[in-house]
Amino acid sequence: MTLTLERPQPGQADTTTLTPRRSQRRARPEKVAAGLTLVVLVTASVVSLISVDISLPQMIASWSNATRFFDRVGIISFPAPGELLYLTALTVGLVLLGTLFAAVFSVPLAWLAAANTSPGRGWMVFARFLGVAIRAVPDVVLAMVFVLMFSLGTLPGILAIGIHSIGMISKMFADAIEQIDDGPRLAIRAAGATRLQEFFSGVLPQVLPSWVATVLHRNDINLRGSVILGYVGVAGLGLEMSYAFKSLNYSLGLGIAVVIFALCVVMEIVSSAVRTVMLGFAPTRHGIGDRLLRRIGVTGVTADASHHPWTYARIRNAVWGTLAALIVIGSIWICDIKWGDILTFWSYLPETAAKFWPPSFGAYDAPVMLAAMGETIAIALAATILTLLASIVIGSLAARNVAPNPRVRAGFRLVLVTIRGIPEIILAIVLIVVTGLGTQAGTIALAIGGIGLLGKLLADSLEEVRPGPEQALRAAGATRLQVYAGATAPQGMKALIGHSFYMLDTNIRAATILGLVGGGGVGYYLLNAGQGSRYDLVTTIVLMILVTVIMVEGLAVWMRRVFR
Amino acid sequence: MPGLTQPPQAITGPAVAAGPVIAVRGVTKTFGETTALHDVSLTVARGEIVVLLGLSGSGKSTLLRHLDGLDRPDTGTVTVLGATVSRLRGRPLRALRGQVGFVFQQFELVGSLTVLENVLTGALFRVRGPRLGLWGYRRDLQLAALGHLDRVGLLTHAYQRADTLSGGQQQRVGIARALMQNPRILLADEPVASLDPESSAQVMALIREIAIDSGLTVVCSLHQVDLALSWGDRIVGLRHGEVVLDTATQGLSKQNVMEIYGRVTTSTAELGAIETELGTAPDEDGEPDEQGELDLQTFSSARDNRR
Ligand SMILES: Nc1ncnc2c1ncn2[C@@H]1O[C@H](COP(=O)(O)OP(=O)(O)OP(=O)(O)O)[C@@H](O)[C@H]1O
Ligand SMILES: [Mg+2]
Repeated sequence: MTLTLERPQPGQADTTTLTPRRSQRRARPEKVAAGLTLVVLVTASVVSLISVDISLPQMIASWSNATRFFDRVGIISFPAPGELLYLTALTVGLVLLGTLFAAVFSVPLAWLAAANTSPGRGWMVFARFLGVAIRAVPDVVLAMVFVLMFSLGTLPGILAIGIHSIGMISKMFADAIEQIDDGPRLAIRAAGATRLQEFFSGVLPQVLPSWVATVLHRNDINLRGSVILGYVGVAGLGLEMSYAFKSLNYSLGLGIAVVIFALCVVMEIVSSAVRTVMLGFAPTRHGIGDRLLRRIGVTGVTADASHHPWTYARIRNAVWGTLAALIVIGSIWICDIKWGDILTFWSYLPETAAKFWPPSFGAYDAPVMLAAMGETIAIALAATILTLLASIVIGSLAARNVAPNPRVRAGFRLVLVTIRGIPEIILAIVLIVVTGLGTQAGTIALAIGGIGLLGKLLADSLEEVRPGPEQALRAAGATRLQVYAGATAPQGMKALIGHSFYMLDTNIRAATILGLVGGGGVGYYLLNAGQGSRYDLVTTIVLMILVTVIMVEGLAVWMRRVFR
Repeated sequence: MPGLTQPPQAITGPAVAAGPVIAVRGVTKTFGETTALHDVSLTVARGEIVVLLGLSGSGKSTLLRHLDGLDRPDTGTVTVLGATVSRLRGRPLRALRGQVGFVFQQFELVGSLTVLENVLTGALFRVRGPRLGLWGYRRDLQLAALGHLDRVGLLTHAYQRADTLSGGQQQRVGIARALMQNPRILLADEPVASLDPESSAQVMALIREIAIDSGLTVVCSLHQVDLALSWGDRIVGLRHGEVVLDTATQGLSKQNVMEIYGRVTTSTAELGAIETELGTAPDEDGEPDEQGELDLQTFSSARDNRR
């Protein structure tokens, strides 16, 4: 970069300090290239939107399909209460164990990946790359592979969720480690502790609240995504739903979909409540628990200091700890894990691996597969641009510094939370089944689902902009809209670009999965290949997805750097 | 595991009793362009209470870090308790660090752990494997930690989160953590620079008391001349990474010290003006050395005013 050459040397005169400023005003070629890339992407998105053929009249026309559909299906039905309860518990337990698996294995990876704890730069790069690579393989694909290697049951699902989630969890864990106060950790090192001791005593206590929040957050995502695992044979509500739809029992299928909807929303509420309690762990002394403890006469510190007294904090820790342990034990019990599978797994491994290699296009030729991949990318792009347009409006109005009054902000925040609770795949399945449309319905479902995430990220970013420029415009007599357009929006632009790439990245994976339920694109071939035992084709498709996702990731990193 | 509590042979050997506890010979350390230490030599005998005096950026922290093996010299050797720190690695290095307590300017406690848990981290080098919170520390270690907390007057706060304490209290926890190591040497890097005058006096008195009681060798960096004179037995002055002063405090006056530094104090009126600006007004020309000089003079005058 030219800037580094022009960095002022200490002791040199003013002229050098002026140079970088001048060179910044000149548009750098890299910036131009990045700008052009953005324009190309937006154009591609619009073209995709047209090619996916989303038009309002058609959507309205399909609504008559929907009414006809409901006439035919009649009232939705549910499984028997006992079975429903079991399936719900099984789904929740399976997802919890998967997330927990990921959390455990993310710890060493995060330790390697965090700049301040990593034993070396090489390790750091390796761990970060491993995280990205793991994240790039959709959990459905993993589940497909594991279903082959284990007897049907919960283990394939747990492992698929677990391995896939390591990508995101380890990254968030590592970021949290990098944000800790390093002083206490080094003080512990100065007292002669080993690296492991340093981690447990100096790092873990500092990152724990943030780690728990990450795990809960990921658990919500995994619950929403778990439905689709049923389509490749993982036990739970998803499997029952896929059976119901396959046997054309639409009323039962929709009933299960409604249950999953409700489950996701409940989980979102529970986990956000737990997160709030965890993050506010510094004793407030005003919580419900505290009041309860005071009433039953638990005091702060006992007279005998040599025994650990039952302080509020200790009781709270113990209660939460016990509760968590019980939930984990319950999950293991309900999942009825066939531990023997873990042993036989290794003997199947070479045989299974051989089935997947070498990759080939199978019965199809390359252009067909590439066109299918293209369709998946088109769906992702179209959904992203739709999400973006809606999020700019909703996200802005959900930002404190943009919304005309707090009630508007609260209202739009609520909209965002509600949308986030909706599993987009369920939305897609329902839309596809009900409207009879494929690609269009899938795209719309993805677009709606994305608003929950992108809208929230955008609102948060807008609230974080520097207030100075806004105040300056306001002082100059600008209207609310002028302040937004002139100060708030320009400052939030960079964040918006970053978040949009994240959205695109998520959408490419989601668009693949969409194909599994009839939403078009490469996912359809993936499901077929899996069910038809054409594993070499599965490998090809996975590689195509992998390349696309890594390319998008690379593009995002580049954009973030250029528009820093 | 009684064997683990014994300090390693190399460190307790009879050879140590005779020689100096700390011997720094010709140490030079550079960070990129800046020379933090330049040909520094220094020996400290057992039981001595030494003050490292110097302006900001003069290399005090860097020197102290060398004594605990947290930095390695470019050239020269650092010998502590008979072991050449600069060559130690792994277990022997950790064993040596265990013998050397370190007290920091910013206390460096883990805020979300309790006071007792923080103190116990000082015993980590004596146990095998990691510890989470209070879990897994033997009862005798826990009792010892409580004893040290009692020593620094914080027994009643043992089960409180460390970040709920005041600065002065946190520093006393830091001292208790160092004591938990049963150290033979105590290093302190500007232990009172973040504290108000009252807590400063308390903490400094506590360190000296403990040092004398347990026969510790102490090296403590400070930038307040008056405090250094009244508190230490010996002053080592650093300037731009070089030792420019090394003398007993006995009979030394503040004037002497300032003269050696080549900076004679200005009138009391000027000092008062500087004092009112402390913490708010930046130095005029932005040079770090000047900022340090301000500190040096203001803290001295703050002490004068209190007398
Ligand atoms: N890790 C490091 N990387 C780069 N430079 C460093 C590092 N540590 C110290 N230095 C530099 O070495 C010099 C001495 O620093 P040191 O921290 O030892 O000074 P000090 O006397 O403790 O100052 P203060 O009173 O401000 O704490 C300074 O110029 C500092 O910028
Ligand atoms: Mg320092």
